[in-house]
Amino acid sequence: MVLEKEVFKEFEVAVGVGNVNDGEVITDVYAYNWCNEMFNFMEEKEPIPYSPRPKAVILPSTTEEVQKIVKLCNKYGIQFKAQSTGLGPWNSVSTDNSIIVDLRRMNRIVKIDKKNLYAVVEPYVSGAQLQVEIMKHGLNCHMPGAGPQVSPLASATSMNGPGFTSPSTGHSSRNVLGVEWVLPDGEIMKLGSWGLKNYPDWFIGDGPGPSLRGIMRGWAGAKSGIGIFTRVAVKLFPYPCSTDFKISGHSPNYDFKKPDFMRLYVIDCKNLKRLDEIIIEIEKEEISFMCSYLSGLAVMAIFANSIGQLMNLMPVGSLKSPLIIIIAARTKREYEYKQKVMDLIMQRYKLKDIIGKQYTPNSVFYGEALRSNLGLHGFIATGGFQSSCGVADSAKICLNTSQLNIPLKKIYIKKEALANDFGEGGWMSSYESGHYFHFESPTMFDQKNKHSVKGMAEYMVRSNQLHLLKHLGAPFFVEGDRMHDIFGPHMCNHNIWLRKIKTTFDPNNIADGGFYITPKKD
Amino acid sequence: MNGDNLYGNIIKICGSKNISIDTEIIESYSKDLSFFPEKAPICVIWPSSTKKVEKIVKLANSLKFSIIPISSDAGPRHHGDTIPHKDNCVVLDLSKMKKILKIDGKNRVIMIEPGVTFGDIIPKLKKKGLKIMLPLHPRASKSVLASALEREPVTLPRYMWDSSDPLLCTEVIFGTGDLFRTGTAAGPGTIKQQEKAGIAQVNPMGPTQFSPFRVIQGAQGSLGIVTWVTIKLEMKPSIQKVYHLQSNNLQELLNFQQDLLKYRLCDELLILNNLNLACLVKQSLQEINELAKKLKKWNLIYVLAGRGKLANDKIEYLEGDIGDILKEKGLDISKNKRIISDVDILHFLGQADTNPWRLRLKGGYQDIFFISNLEKIPNFVSMVEKQFPNDLGIYIQGINQGTSYHCEFDIFYDPNIVESSNNLKNKFLEMCTALMDAGAFFNRPYGLWAKKVFERHADSTRIALKKVKSIFDPNNILNPGVLCFDD
Repeated sequence: MVLEKEVFKEFEVAVGVGNVNDGEVITDVYAYNWCNEMFNFMEEKEPIPYSPRPKAVILPSTTEEVQKIVKLCNKYGIQFKAQSTGLGPWNSVSTDNSIIVDLRRMNRIVKIDKKNLYAVVEPYVSGAQLQVEIMKHGLNCHMPGAGPQVSPLASATSMNGPGFTSPSTGHSSRNVLGVEWVLPDGEIMKLGSWGLKNYPDWFIGDGPGPSLRGIMRGWAGAKSGIGIFTRVAVKLFPYPCSTDFKISGHSPNYDFKKPDFMRLYVIDCKNLKRLDEIIIEIEKEEISFMCSYLSGLAVMAIFANSIGQLMNLMPVGSLKSPLIIIIAARTKREYEYKQKVMDLIMQRYKLKDIIGKQYTPNSVFYGEALRSNLGLHGFIATGGFQSSCGVADSAKICLNTSQLNIPLKKIYIKKEALANDFGEGGWMSSYESGHYFHFESPTMFDQKNKHSVKGMAEYMVRSNQLHLLKHLGAPFFVEGDRMHDIFGPHMCNHNIWLRKIKTTFDPNNIADGGFYITPKKD
Repeated sequence: MNGDNLYGNIIKICGSKNISIDTEIIESYSKDLSFFPEKAPICVIWPSSTKKVEKIVKLANSLKFSIIPISSDAGPRHHGDTIPHKDNCVVLDLSKMKKILKIDGKNRVIMIEPGVTFGDIIPKLKKKGLKIMLPLHPRASKSVLASALEREPVTLPRYMWDSSDPLLCTEVIFGTGDLFRTGTAAGPGTIKQQEKAGIAQVNPMGPTQFSPFRVIQGAQGSLGIVTWVTIKLEMKPSIQKVYHLQSNNLQELLNFQQDLLKYRLCDELLILNNLNLACLVKQSLQEINELAKKLKKWNLIYVLAGRGKLANDKIEYLEGDIGDILKEKGLDISKNKRIISDVDILHFLGQADTNPWRLRLKGGYQDIFFISNLEKIPNFVSMVEKQFPNDLGIYIQGINQGTSYHCEFDIFYDPNIVESSNNLKNKFLEMCTALMDAGAFFNRPYGLWAKKVFERHADSTRIALKKVKSIFDPNNILNPGVLCFDD
């Protein structure tokens, strides 16, 4: 269903000729996304990697153009779905009455404030781009596990936000300062100090009074279901070590010169009870740049760039309860102190570090850790993966979740629907020096195989049920009407309140709520 | 509304001992230290449980009376946010809900009811090797929950990962009378079931795709009544080393503290002018004035801390790294005179205050506070000093990982001199307005400020907040008239 001619023309006036397209070739491309097949199956649809075809794709270049688009959508009763770097099904439309607002022309780093430690970015700035610019000032940014190629704006405002460097750079949603936000009715809202009429600036995102960041997003973002975010200020952190970044060779096996004050530890805690104690002990010392529990296969994956390399990594794959810690420092003193702390903890718990003894990673690993590129290794084994679970609270709930999930996953491994990770596949990271933790279970499947997709979808549904029945916290993907209405009665009827927010802020139901919530029924 | 009906129903819920219409009592809730006009509530109610709060809010919806929630009964209160703006208000004094529901050292979190005060909690945590992030020398009778809900700045900025810290999860009764829990406390399952599974209520985000705790925070009780919260804790250090740098050059200290904060090198970190520092350390007018004269105008205080076997190693590395920064900035702290003992400094940084420090000099004060970026601070200081050259305390606190600063100006005066109070009121309001016009962001808009603050902020904010109010308190039951909820 394409746009009517007059409507097309009005969108074209709003954003300029050449920036609106409703041709089949383009709209079909935008209907494809990674994992659509699995989510389709979970929603009892055909397991194909396509969403409904969007009515058109529109490319604005400014906030004002975004506003014009949203107002036109309200005028003609057309829904919109915004996307930045566009990874995953959350960027797809949920009805054939939606357009895609592709924000790729909004690709500017608006401001780097090295004194007040923040950067203002537009939607299509990637983490990698931002990091390169702020490294010049000795600064770093948080990047989500999805990798440096995705949009920090999307992660901060609309998606999830766990990352490998979270012990030292937190969570995307907690790093948000000022925000520019086109509401579903077309009004522009500016959060915090950016909303001042005199001397607007980006240094804080809360107030006056209640913080509307609480409407903007939760642990997960609204995936464009509550409007379009056009600029955001995110916190910056000191770069953890020297910014001298020397790299040579060819992708993916680059040679990287490891910075002087950077050290990796891979230790086997032997069991999860001990791991629970040890990770908390390390994090209370506030020394880690990165501190993650990974299952054996996941440890193999982060050090490998091909299946061949992966299979040669059995010494690290056989660890029972591995903890991956990176310490990094700006000065020799800091580095030595952090190593002393690690030595003391390792002595106390009789731990051995396998790095440099049983295993030495390729130097590029350190470069990838600094670039937050480790998550992408999840694609190596089968080409496709998605994470189940997604709880975030204490280390204990994360580890309990990981254990309870294993027998369930094994069912689908036995059915040969999922790649065999012994059911253990998992990643748990500390946040903010161990003030909380998150766990997800990356699960590998074959996106082109219907049996595998069906098995993966069934496993996801049952894994979500496990969270409900065993009180394991809300998993990642409580989004969309069906999931909200399943979990709502067990979670203070949150679905009712979220739906009230949706109907109040989007009275015409214009922001596509397929991965958020819709006004709905009853 | 029929008064008998109201009292009869409240007595059924809370018992006759827990409601008062005694003139003296209700008048004590009709005013505070601010210039906000006096107005008495119709009664004061002391509920003892969440269930009772829930019933009272539902009753308010049906009988159409308004509720002003208050957490700590012992004043002094300051900012006009608990004085009725409208007729027909009851005060819901939650000070009898003072249970410490849990202290969880492993996960560094406490769960507390509204009546738990800083005076209650600090010694209990100390015994367990823990500490709470404190606002600057808080009143011992001040509610910990209220302080977190009001976004009071804390003196330990490196642990403030988000502007909402140290607040984590909450249990709240919305204006509709519905109970809700925020963050991971929302579920699935009851708190007991969650704890059995391993959840410690340490993740404030959510549930799912919204974070209601953020709108409850800073709402001055106008969206929900919070009946417990979880609060983030830190490990108590075994060694603390205090540094007190004096200078007549504010910019020099601002630049230095910015590096300390950026690299997370110290625990407590703040800047005070001589008068505020003297007020924090001394008790009487004479002692305060004497000390203030001895001090240089600007005082940067920071504390290095370590614990366990490597405590001294940590301090040594921090001192070395800080030494490098000092050299780079050309600062020499070796000539710094030690005028105040470390014990005195650690006392006001780590203990609650039984003799409110802002009242020590003259018996009264008005405070102006807002958020700024780093560069604008000196200009704001000049503006206020020009208008209030004497008896002015200043406190500058980096917050939120050094991305912004709490700027506080404490104007000390004698409230018993009526003429001085009246003159001050106008001057105070003019000063606030001038600061707002110069870009100061009053993100906690209390009492007489509120209208001016919202006039200077994007209209879309006010409209959005009213929408939020219509969702969580559609009948305008809770603290009507505060913020931009004036109609």
